[in-house]
This record gives sequence, structure tokens and C-alpha cells, in this order.
Amino acid sequence: MLPASLDEAVEALAATPGAVPVAGATDLMEAVNAGRLRPAALIGLGRITELRGWRYEDGGTAVLGAGLTHARMDRPDFAALIPALADAARTAGPPQVRNVGTLGGNVATAAPAGDTLPVLAALEATATLARAGSTREVPVSHLLTGLDPLRPGELLTWVRVPLLNAPQVFLKATGRSGPARATASVALVLDPARRAVRCAVGAVAPVPLRPLEAETWVAGCIDWDARGEDGATVIDPAAAAAFGEYVAGACVPEVLPDGTNEGLAQGAARVRRTVSVLARRALGRALK
Amino acid sequence: MTTDSIGFGHVDLGTDPLAQTPPTHDVVGGGAFGGDARPCASYTLRVNGFERPVTDAWIGESLLYVLRERLGLAGAKDGCEQGECGACSVQVDGQLVAGCLVPAALASDSEIATVEGLSAGGTASDVQQALADSGAVQCGYCTPGMAMAVHDLLQRNHRPSEVEARQALCGNLCRCTGYRGALAAVQVVAEARGAVDELPEQEEPEQADPPEAAAPSAVPVAVPVQSAADLSLAGEMPLYADSEAWVEAEQPHPAQPTAAGTGIGVGIDAVADYGVDYGDGQGVGHGVGHGGAATTHQTGVYEPADYPPYPATPPYNGTPPYDGTPYDASYDATFEQSRYEATPAHGTAHDGPPFEGTPAHGTPYTQTPAHGTPYDSAAYENATYETATYETSTYETSTYENPSYDNSTVYEHTGYDGSTPAHGIPLPEDDHA
Repeated sequence: MLPASLDEAVEALAATPGAVPVAGATDLMEAVNAGRLRPAALIGLGRITELRGWRYEDGGTAVLGAGLTHARMDRPDFAALIPALADAARTAGPPQVRNVGTLGGNVATAAPAGDTLPVLAALEATATLARAGSTREVPVSHLLTGLDPLRPGELLTWVRVPLLNAPQVFLKATGRSGPARATASVALVLDPARRAVRCAVGAVAPVPLRPLEAETWVAGCIDWDARGEDGATVIDPAAAAAFGEYVAGACVPEVLPDGTNEGLAQGAARVRRTVSVLARRALGRALK
Repeated sequence: MTTDSIGFGHVDLGTDPLAQTPPTHDVVGGGAFGGDARPCASYTLRVNGFERPVTDAWIGESLLYVLRERLGLAGAKDGCEQGECGACSVQVDGQLVAGCLVPAALASDSEIATVEGLSAGGTASDVQQALADSGAVQCGYCTPGMAMAVHDLLQRNHRPSEVEARQALCGNLCRCTGYRGALAAVQVVAEARGAVDELPEQEEPEQADPPEAAAPSAVPVAVPVQSAADLSLAGEMPLYADSEAWVEAEQPHPAQPTAAGTGIGVGIDAVADYGVDYGDGQGVGHGVGHGGAATTHQTGVYEPADYPPYPATPPYNGTPPYDGTPYDASYDATFEQSRYEATPAHGTAHDGPPFEGTPAHGTPYTQTPAHGTPYDSAAYENATYETATYETSTYETSTYENPSYDNSTVYEHTGYDGSTPAHGIPLPEDDHA
């Protein structure tokens, strides 16, 4: 089934309860090929052209279609709008996957290592869910954590992202130099209007984590007035390093080795160190 | 990979009626859940410009599976079924995708271009030729996907840089040759096409691209339903074609490399060139010294005068007629009956010993001692070596002790945090790193 408009898709979803909406299918087909999922029916969303672009709204908001592919988000015009999301899309996978993998699919799948998810969490994006006859707005973090999950018959249509016009960084640690699943990722967004730093850590937990205390602490350490001047030192390097440790301590629980859990303790220590370095570097690059 | 895309909607894995049953039990279809357990669909795929009907296919079949098993286009290879390896790369609507991750039922009104369409008329395209020439082919499993990736890159970018080529090929894993040959092939094709473009008096290069690949969103025109007689035009090598069509497709190009771009035909070409040059430059005078090497080339150009003419091979007269020798049944007894039955159906659980599984992440392993750890020399101390041929019967085996080396300090390994930037992107200067 290949509906050509959003209304048709929502009606088709209401008519066939067991149907699976399919966008890029890169995660869906992996599950089907492995025998983990047997869809009763497929509703292809690739023909809904309205969801494959984005538009602007008043109040400095971009409304991104759920069908935006990673390859499209990587292009320079989009990267000028939301650089962190473009970085996340660029490193998300090989071209074969990025050409079809979509933003909405990434949110709906909510894989722990989904690369756009920490960016959306740091940007505090909201999602529009459509069903036959009505829509509702849900923060993406509520969707991901299961606080307010997708209900049967609902379709994720738009993702609303604020345009901050400030540096944004997405950094990711992987097992190889090519595209691969993240072992840890950090998205860091500056909000100079509110003098805030927002940071999210992905791939270390089932959902992206926000170290809120570390954010408020480091926002107080930044010399916001000196930002943008040449040669100005906006943050003490020691403070940046401490921020990294703070973020890592908040996101990865420490495991004390007691003789029985040596591997667990080693793995946790490694992830903490990775997150700490990523967060420190992300802050440094954002403030440069 | 980490990207995504199960759709934007609700997928209730918990209420799936088959989630509780092992999926291998109902592979054959139907099962206890009737038609709902295995919903099927019939549709038509447009592959390399031809309409190919697919009837009663399960909706969960991937495009790769349908191309290979139902349509007989075995160019795209089945590597990982996870989108990691790129061996199944095909183009859908002009975009490079992993064929294993596309539901075939949803590609029904898309233009699909496979590696078979690259080699129009049975000759290898310039991309395939360059891959073979530059040594990018060894076992050949990744080559169709690699050819599609290179083809796709050069469609979008006529002069790709080294980094762009690496980024374009980063999704195609090759474990035989490495990527140097493939990257060289990209530059060879780009330069060859660029050289042709700079000469306006010449004709357009003979593009092996199927027409729909160049114009992916072209208005669908009346396309004839593919028959077996058309297969030679499409350059496809049908697996299941009947024997008449097979002979027709084979006859015009008997010695061409296959569509997958194996290097066989190319190797003969290269040798032929070498033989011609050698014969012109060296002449007959050196024939004695080099004749042995030269005649091994199957060129037929260079024949040293010192040698007697090569005896002509008697023409092949076919298999000799049966002379009535009785069949020796003892041959069969020497062969062990093969226990191979057939490739199991798609999704069948294999019946080997159970796979123990990779140990869980973080499982401790016995560590290799760090570099520079003093080795346990107790086993070697005062060892007596057998040196019967020497006059001194034993060696003094003194252990080496460096007085300045203090091995009481423990080196703390801080570890590699693995935070490499994206593939091919140079690391920026980072004051805070």
C-alpha cells in the first residue's frame, strides 16, 4: 500500500490495525530478515512528498517532515539551519542507508544508538502525531522514554525544532573510522539568548540522557559577553574538563569493582572516559 | 547501522500474534494463522527498464530476495541482510540503497537499476572494466555492490576527490583486496569520462547506464513486458531461462566477461596488448632468449623464427562413441553419499551445533601482557642447549638485566576513547581536545 498523501496514510492506518507504517525500512527490514518481525501489512510512506521537506514557522521554529532522509539532512542548506542534526545524519551510516533512513523513523524506532535522538533531545524538539481526524503535540523526549508513547493508529508526521542560530556540535565515538553504531555520542547546543547550554548523551542508555545539573553549572562558567570576540577566552579549560567529568558522572553510573563484576566495572569506566572526552570536546568546539 | 526507520508509526511488537511463536516454525506459509500470518501480494517491478511481474510474494520479502530468487537476477549478493556490507547495493529511483533493506512490495512503482543493467549488450561497463583492470576484484562477492556504488558516485559527482570516493564506498565492505583498487578505479573512470567530455568532436562515450538510471524520475513510457528473447539486450544472465534463450544470449558475445565484472576477459586483453608491443619492439632477434616466455601468451602474434611451427591441434570431434565397456559399479562405492540436500528456505533455522554467541560486552578476558612487560624468564634460565657440534657443550645463559629499567612504576593505560570524527573528515584543530 503506497498512499500518496498524509490523509490517505492515516486513513489506511486506521482501517488496517496491524499494518506497519514503513518509511526507510532500514530497521524494519533488518528485523524482518532476522525473523523478529512479521508485519501483517505494510503502509509505505515514501510517496508522501509533503513529509519529505521542511518549513519555517513564526517564532524561530523549523518544522521538519518525518520523511526527511539522512542524506537530505546532510546537505549544506540544512546543515546551515541545524548543524548538529546534519552532523548526526552524516555519520549515521553508509550512503546506502542514509539515502533511505528518515528522521521520523529514527524517532519511532527509538533505537538506543539512534544518532539523531540526542540532538533532538538537546534541542528539546516536539513531535506531531497524527491520527484520523486529530493531531497532538508531544515532546520527543516523552516519546522516547515511553512517558507518552505512540498509540495504535498514530503516525509521526512532523518534528518541531527551534532555530537557535548558535553553534551546535554532535560528536560520536564508534568502533571504526567508517560509519558504525555509536558507542557513545554527545550533542551540545548553545542557546545564547537564554544563556544556556543544552547537552544530551546518546547510546549509553536506552534513551538519550540530559545532564541538567552539569548544563546549568557550565552555563555559569561561560563568559557569554566575550563570545564572538576574537581571542577571547570564554571558558577556562579546566572548567571544560570538569564539565566533561560532570556529564560522564551524571550519565554513566559508576560500578565499583568488587571482584565479581570486573568486566562490568571496566566497561563502565571506559564509557565514562569516552563520554567525558566527548563532552569536553563538544563544549570546546561549540565555544570556539 | 544506527539509523532507523521502521516507519513513523506505532509498531506493537507485543501484540504480534507470531511474536510468541518461534519464527522458524511457520516458514512454509500459512501455518496456524492462515492467510494473516503470511500475507502475500502480487506486483510488478521495473528492473533495468523492463516490467517484471512478481506473483504471490510474501510482503516481507526484501528486494534483494525477489531479485535473486524470483527474477533470477543474481548480480546483487546477499551478504549480511543488515545493510552493513553493501554487497546488495542497487539503485531505486536513482538512489543507491541496500537491496536487503527495501521491502520489494513497496518498490513496485520505482525504477530499479541493478548491476546487470550496467553492462548493456553483454559488455562490461567502463566502471566494471576499470574495477577489473585496477585489481579491485578477487573473490568478487563485493564487486557488484562496489560497481553500483562507483557508478552511483560518478553519476552524482563527475570528478570525485579521494575523500569523496572513500565516503561513497564506505558502505561496501571488501575483505579480499582492500579498497585501493576500487579507489583507483574511481579515478580511472572519472578521468576517462572527463577526457571524452573535453573532446567535443568525438561522440558521446558509450554509456553503459540504463536510460532510466540517468533520468530516474522519467515519465513511465510504454515498456514492453520482458520476454526471454530480450535478455541479451538487457545484458542479464538469467539463471532460470530456458535453454533456447540462453544460447541466444550467449552467442553474440562468447568471450565477454560476465555482468558481475570478473576479470577473466580483461586478463586476456591485457596479455594480448603486451604481446603486441613486445613483438614490435624486440623483434625476432631476441626470440631465442625470450621465446619461451612469449609463446606462453595466447597472442598468436609473436612467433620466433627459430622454432618449428606449433603443431596444429586436431579439431575436436566430440565425445567418442560408446564402445560397450561395462559400467563399473565399484566407482559409486568409493564415493561417500553427500549429505547436502539443498539450501534451506529463507529464514529456516540452521541445524548445526548451537552457536554459543559472542561473549557479552564487557566479559573479562585473559589479557595479553602489556608491551614491555618483563617476560617470565624462569623457564629459560640455566637451560642447557644441545650443541653437540660445538666444542663448548653448554652456553652460559645469563638473563639480561638492565639496571636503569625500573619496572616498579605501573603504566596507567588511559585508553583510546574512539572519538574519531566522521569518515574522511580531517580532524580540526581543537584547543580543548
